[in-house]
Amino acid sequence: MEYILEVNNLRKEFKNFILDNISFKLEPGYIMGFIGPNGAGKSTTIKLIMNLLKKDGGEIKIFGKDHIKYEKEVKNRIGFVYDENYYYEDLTINSMKNIVASFYSHWDDDKFYQYIKEFDLNPKAKIKTLSKGMKMKFSLAVALSHNADLIIMDEPTSGLDPVFRREILDILYSVIQDDTKSIFFSTHITTDLEKVADYITFINKGKIVFSQAKDDILENYAIVKGGLDILNENIRKEFIGLRETRVGFEALTDNVNKIRNLFGDKVLMEKASLEDIMVYTVRR
Amino acid sequence: MLGILKRDFLLMLSSKQTIILLIFYIPFLIIVVDSFVPEILYFAIIVFYTYLISTMSFTYDITGKSKYIMSSLPISRREVVLYKYISTFVYFLATVVYVGVYLWIINALNFASVDYFNLKQIINALPVVMILTSIVYPVYFRFEPKIAQIVQIFLFVFFFIAVSNASFTGDKGIMKYLGKLQWGQIMAIALIVYILSLMVSMQVYKNRDI
Repeated sequence: MEYILEVNNLRKEFKNFILDNISFKLEPGYIMGFIGPNGAGKSTTIKLIMNLLKKDGGEIKIFGKDHIKYEKEVKNRIGFVYDENYYYEDLTINSMKNIVASFYSHWDDDKFYQYIKEFDLNPKAKIKTLSKGMKMKFSLAVALSHNADLIIMDEPTSGLDPVFRREILDILYSVIQDDTKSIFFSTHITTDLEKVADYITFINKGKIVFSQAKDDILENYAIVKGGLDILNENIRKEFIGLRETRVGFEALTDNVNKIRNLFGDKVLMEKASLEDIMVYTVRR
Repeated sequence: MLGILKRDFLLMLSSKQTIILLIFYIPFLIIVVDSFVPEILYFAIIVFYTYLISTMSFTYDITGKSKYIMSSLPISRREVVLYKYISTFVYFLATVVYVGVYLWIINALNFASVDYFNLKQIINALPVVMILTSIVYPVYFRFEPKIAQIVQIFLFVFFFIAVSNASFTGDKGIMKYLGKLQWGQIMAIALIVYILSLMVSMQVYKNRDI
């Protein structure tokens, strides 16, 4: 099967941080959420995919092709949205669009102005006069106006209000209705992903914790609640993360059946959210 | 190529400060250079003006992180470097036209008496522009823009002092040697330096974290 994005054993070393052995795959027609706490390596991974950073090891294939050898070809099919506005602040929306459009072979002006109208942006406004949400809308309009097959987004919803966040999610959802397109979407707002993502890749301290279908994750993981009397050193090791209080404990498990067999009715099991999974794993 | 040029020209014309600089840079050079070496005023204006606008687009990366956008577009790093080196000649031609019109107006209005077209000085300016940009481009492609800007200013000052003192040194030192070289020889040296610089820039930019 040809994956739209394939990352194998990716490695990048910095003075104080190592991104190590990062591997995941994204098929056409799906949204993959890339989660992790701040400083986990999400933006670094995205910069490596976009060849903004040079990798020290591993392989990145986009549309089945090496992302450096076929850099121009693959980037022509990628739409990108970054966490901050990196566009030239002194230019107007129109001027910036004119610059960007000249690099893409499938730029669609009609589509761009359709989004600009939908997002209520003034094409003559200078980028520096736009609010954070408006800048993000502009970035999104650019990313969606050249018939990209892969949309890569680095924290696109951070700092945005819930209404616009939902608007973005709806647009993303409509993009993948064409099942040849995919979205790779980093965020620490996990509730956004619970709504739209098909796969979740979780990174922590530069290492992949898991990369699985969202439904499998939510099925396998659970929050376990019980009394302190059942805890001992061996039992504690059964959990991914544990929080003890004076009256009991709450813990995360990725093996619901094992915990059920061990404790039966002595514990209460609840569905774990992606946020629970992230928080307990990081605290571990 | 057109995309890079379009970006550079749009950026130049997008900021009021840049437009003011582009308008008043020529009178500034007329005042300063004319007081030292009036015979090569036209040559100096062509060199300094091309040098300024050739390096201007790099300076936008100092305040913003627009380099992330440019590097995410469908253009290889090799092409970014190559087009930058080719664009120097476009800027050179644009400078000749702009400076020509500007100085013609100055002459017509009787503000000063300056050459507005001097073919000999134009062909003399070309290798000098190539050598200056050969030094500064690899620095911009390798280092952070702030560091590169210091090198750019240092080079500007160095060249300015060299030009200012050229007429006073007469047949002494390096001027004596350079004076014996034919234009073709100087151009050949400039071309070799320019191509070497291009190769160095391609290599350093290829391996650089942005």
